[in-house]
Amino acid sequence: MSGFFGTSVADIAATWVAAIVTLIVFGSLLGERRAFGWTQHLLAGLATGFLALIALTEVIGPRLVAPIAADPSGRPELWVGLALVASAAAAPWLPRQISVIPVSVAIGALAAFALGGAVIGTLLPQIDAAIVRPGGSAAATIGGALAVVVTGLVLVGFLHGIPRGRVLTAAAGAGRWLLIGGIGGWLGFLILSRLILLVDRVGFLLGDWLGLVP
Amino acid sequence: MTERARRLWRLAPVLLVIALAVAWQVPDVGWLDLASPDAEVAERMTAALDALGEEPRVLVGFDADIGTYAETRPTVRAMIADLLARDARLAFVSLTAEGRALASAELARLDRGEANPARLLDLGFIPGAEAGLVDLTRRIRVSYEGDHAFAREVEATGIGTFDAVLVIGGNDLGPRSWVEQVAPRIGEIPFIAVTPTVLLPEVQPYLGAGSLQAVLGTPRDGAAYRETLALGNLERLTDPIEPRPLPVLLGMLVAVAVLGQALGTRVLGELRAARSREPG
Repeated sequence: MSGFFGTSVADIAATWVAAIVTLIVFGSLLGERRAFGWTQHLLAGLATGFLALIALTEVIGPRLVAPIAADPSGRPELWVGLALVASAAAAPWLPRQISVIPVSVAIGALAAFALGGAVIGTLLPQIDAAIVRPGGSAAATIGGALAVVVTGLVLVGFLHGIPRGRVLTAAAGAGRWLLIGGIGGWLGFLILSRLILLVDRVGFLLGDWLGLVP
Repeated sequence: MTERARRLWRLAPVLLVIALAVAWQVPDVGWLDLASPDAEVAERMTAALDALGEEPRVLVGFDADIGTYAETRPTVRAMIADLLARDARLAFVSLTAEGRALASAELARLDRGEANPARLLDLGFIPGAEAGLVDLTRRIRVSYEGDHAFAREVEATGIGTFDAVLVIGGNDLGPRSWVEQVAPRIGEIPFIAVTPTVLLPEVQPYLGAGSLQAVLGTPRDGAAYRETLALGNLERLTDPIEPRPLPVLLGMLVAVAVLGQALGTRVLGELRAARSREPG
């Protein structure tokens, strides 16, 4: 049981709507596509509406309009941000040299945060943890050595367009198989997550909707 | 494939759903227990929570996603109840839209369950993903009504208020982003996480490296953690019924059978092709 809904009239109505939509989605397993298409449109519409609501009530209103309205000259960075948003929105009508600025800023900032964080927060601590220290357990030593070997082989598997000898070709092949094995394991985890979601939906219909709690 | 077999094959997904529904109704069997017999992971989480001290302030990064939340939900609710039982103050923040929707639903549920509102704070949605996380370490915008001591504290002290960060991870934003963007900027406070199984390969190295103090990353570890709890009156804030292991087992067996069937068909095809290539 999800426990998302209470006992008010609105909650009961929400439970019924959710149950009907779940049944329609299950109905697609029998080939009923039209109603399933409607539910997809409903989901897309709800998601878009929710995103717009969040953007308006939690971002644009309190973080942009309210500070500018309170102190128009005190927050120059918001005006710059507003100008960038306006130039992005008006991109089809502006010269390319101007319209690329907001996109460049967004991509550059994203890459800087992601790359800097990956190096400081992931790469360096992981390298540090993988270093075999004197006095460490044999299991930690073997684990660290295996991690280095697997990482090296997978990285070699990504080498393209350079001359390779027999050893490098074999290492690249092993790296690709290791990568496929990793993706297979990840898909196994994904199946478990999705299966639990399916069981949860069945539980929602039987428990929340029909009240057939075992 | 005959026409009858083809029809049966098309009905297979519906039969699976019916079988899952029947299995969901079957009473729990003693030999099938969801909780992991190895309680090390659960004990690690309990130790991390025990180390937080009196009335800890916990920042809850709630970015679960709809596709995997069914898996983590019982553990997330149990952990929130556990933290409240430890007199914790919880501030919820989301950096994804799905996370925000689920956080709103959980906060509404806590409200219905009459959780003490003075111990809960909704910091809302922060845009910008990684950039938003960095912004969070510099300043936290708080909106509240009336006299909310915890809100005033967060407003005044920012992220320095918190004794720990609890990340409720999902597909879009999980512990990795918090460890990469927040941990290097705020110094030594413990990071703990509840994540779906699909994030386990990503999260495990952080646990090994000490970037995360404790993680509940599988349904079995979550169930083992829930078994250790004694929440008393706050039991009302947990999931009404525990997840049913039998339908999950049945589904996994079907998944393995489908995989085996696909693999077997492929191998048989290869063998037939090889045999037909043999001379004579």
